[in-house]
Amino acid sequence: MKRYLLHRLLLFFPSLLGVLTLVFFFIHFVPGDPVEVMLGETASASDKEALRRQLGLNEPVWTQYLGFLKGLAVGDLGRSLYHQEKVMDLVLARFPATLELTLAAMAVATLCALPLGVLAAWKRRTWVDRCALLLSLFGLAMPNFWLGPLLIIAFSIQLGLLPVSGRGGLSHLILPSLTLGTAMAALLTRMIRSSLLEVIHEDYIQSARAKGLSEITVWLKHALRNSLLPVTTILGLQFGSLLAGSVITETIFTWPGIGRLTIQAIQTRDYPLVQGCVLVIAVCYLVVNLFTDILYRVIDPRISYGK
Amino acid sequence: MIGLESSPSRLDPRYATDANSVRVGALVFNSLMRADENSQFRPELAERWEASDDRTYLFHLRKGVTFHNGKPLTATDIKYTYDSVLDPASRSPKRGPLQVIEAVEALGTHLVRFRLAAPHAPFLENATLGIVPAGSAPGPGVERNLVGSGPFTLVEHAPGDKVILKANPAYWEGPPSIPGIVFRIVPDAIVRVLEFKKGTVDFVQNDIEPDMLPWLERHTDAAFKIHQGTTFQYIGMKVDHPILRIREVRQAIAHAVDREAVIRHLLKGLGTPATGLLSPAHWAYEPHVPQYRFDPEQAKRLLDKAGFPDPDGDGPLPRFKLSYKTTTLDLRRRIAEAFKEHLSRVGIELEIRTYEWGTFYEDIKNGNFHLYSLAWVGVTDPDIYYNLFHSVSVPPNGDNRGRYNNPAIDALLEKGRTSLVLAERKRLYSQVQQTLARDLPYIPLWWAKNVVVMNPRIRGFIPYPDGELISLKRVSFSAAKPLA
Repeated sequence: MKRYLLHRLLLFFPSLLGVLTLVFFFIHFVPGDPVEVMLGETASASDKEALRRQLGLNEPVWTQYLGFLKGLAVGDLGRSLYHQEKVMDLVLARFPATLELTLAAMAVATLCALPLGVLAAWKRRTWVDRCALLLSLFGLAMPNFWLGPLLIIAFSIQLGLLPVSGRGGLSHLILPSLTLGTAMAALLTRMIRSSLLEVIHEDYIQSARAKGLSEITVWLKHALRNSLLPVTTILGLQFGSLLAGSVITETIFTWPGIGRLTIQAIQTRDYPLVQGCVLVIAVCYLVVNLFTDILYRVIDPRISYGK
Repeated sequence: MIGLESSPSRLDPRYATDANSVRVGALVFNSLMRADENSQFRPELAERWEASDDRTYLFHLRKGVTFHNGKPLTATDIKYTYDSVLDPASRSPKRGPLQVIEAVEALGTHLVRFRLAAPHAPFLENATLGIVPAGSAPGPGVERNLVGSGPFTLVEHAPGDKVILKANPAYWEGPPSIPGIVFRIVPDAIVRVLEFKKGTVDFVQNDIEPDMLPWLERHTDAAFKIHQGTTFQYIGMKVDHPILRIREVRQAIAHAVDREAVIRHLLKGLGTPATGLLSPAHWAYEPHVPQYRFDPEQAKRLLDKAGFPDPDGDGPLPRFKLSYKTTTLDLRRRIAEAFKEHLSRVGIELEIRTYEWGTFYEDIKNGNFHLYSLAWVGVTDPDIYYNLFHSVSVPPNGDNRGRYNNPAIDALLEKGRTSLVLAERKRLYSQVQQTLARDLPYIPLWWAKNVVVMNPRIRGFIPYPDGELISLKRVSFSAAKPLA
């Protein structure tokens, strides 16, 4: 296990560097000029050139890349070209909002999917199963940009129970997390159901039944735990997707998170800020994946990570 | 509570260039002069001004004006603000237009002298820069401690989220009637409407899609103020392109585009067909210019005359193909589809290419286009023509993106820039407008109407043609809902 963890940690940094390198070159090769954004249309050509020199944007991309790596090595991501604030400050100011939304969406998805998936498997081929599958189909088919406004109209405008948008207390978190978590809940429901149906015919389940254990104990203690392995993989991967893909939900609900910041940074060709946002998202993604691998072992102690 | 689509980028008046930064900043900072609701410059911090010769302007400052921190506003602050923009190290986007200023001198506590490098007719536009206290270092981190002398003080600016302003009780014109303003950034168009419906947003200007106005009318008690604005929408053309360099082709495109149908169906009437860049409310507006009504037959005749006959009559083959670049915004894409249909009727095949803003703008600036559509917002002095059509203003030196080159126009624009006699300038810009309407480097589309949707209890809001929000300093809330 220790060797495996060490191996994964050693892979962590090259993976991160790979992501940052790709994004660095992509964003630099996309047409667009941050100096134009900073100085506006009326600035003289000489002023634009002077600023370009000052920011090092006139240097070859490779030189800029090396400069970026040097900064990265000492934890300096530079200043945002657009906001003129430290990139790290901007990213860290927005990151908690995205993390809060992602975790809430994960919680919503898990809390909905677990009972629904178990119920669907337990009552296989009954109306309960069909309802659960239909619900999950709707969940997967509904895009966030449609579901979000629909939930706002229902719960904020018609019933007046919840705020329309913005970040505040728990009441502000409910609709965005429902919107973001619905598709994931649908996916998990189907995963849990099919995974449970696979393990329920295994020999050890028959043994448990033969020992006279109640059907609930068999399902929840023996079958569910063993069916969670593929579900954990999906959870880990989905966490990263939710984190990086929350931009639509953040836009609908005016959620001041990192998704909106990234889009704005790309639109203004704010190279350092794009890198900062990608760095945080990539680190989270890699950490969660690592954590998922460790969790495998906790869920199924039979799993071995090499010699 | 005011809903905004996008966040102000920087409120410091030395750096504020986007419309929302300028509009919010105008509530926090005063300037020497300010354009009123008729786009006329009026003294604000200046009590009066005089030009002692064509290169020297004297501003007599109003007495008793203080910054939000209690410090009196003096000539030193004016000098400091302008000097800090003119300093090349400031990286201010306002430096370019101000470079005509040779020196700013504080001649006393309440007297400032501006000396110009050359006579510059649009100078008063430069006197609208927001004033900050001497010593307000530009740069990162200062956004939180910005101090002005305007009717509201800045409490908080959370980029991408909100801007909170509080009434300045010591404002020299008298304190505002409302205790403060919260600008909430609500990027989604539908959610802005729903926030208004719920009552958590009281005021939205122009940030509501035309399609949603009928719904608001039916489902809310909103008060609407619709008034003619100065935002000018146009089709820009690459006039050194082998086909588009022929004037008859440009005129044919102008005849082929059914602007009125687009205004009626896609803009829901929120535009007025334009004859040129300057709107009828402008002092230099020239109404007697060649105009291009929707006339597909005339367009076909012009194309035949230009040497582009239709190869197969009503058949599928086009006379020629052109591309049209626009942004990915839904309304812009729908307008592009309408133009494609209009031009296909006269035998021009239009290929629509949509890009996100950064890529689109880079292409336009580099002259990498055939046709595109954009708008000019907040046009005040006609000297803008110099930036758009003088042959020296080809990017990166200006915004002559279509590479228009006409020595007669160059000469008129040079005279218009230096002449200080209003009647003379009016005559010069009248000729400019007539020539441009004939040559058509731009096809004028429409002047957008400003739409304000607000809580019916709001009283005293005066709309400005350029969308300024300065009259919020005088608005109040009536106690009860008015009778229908």
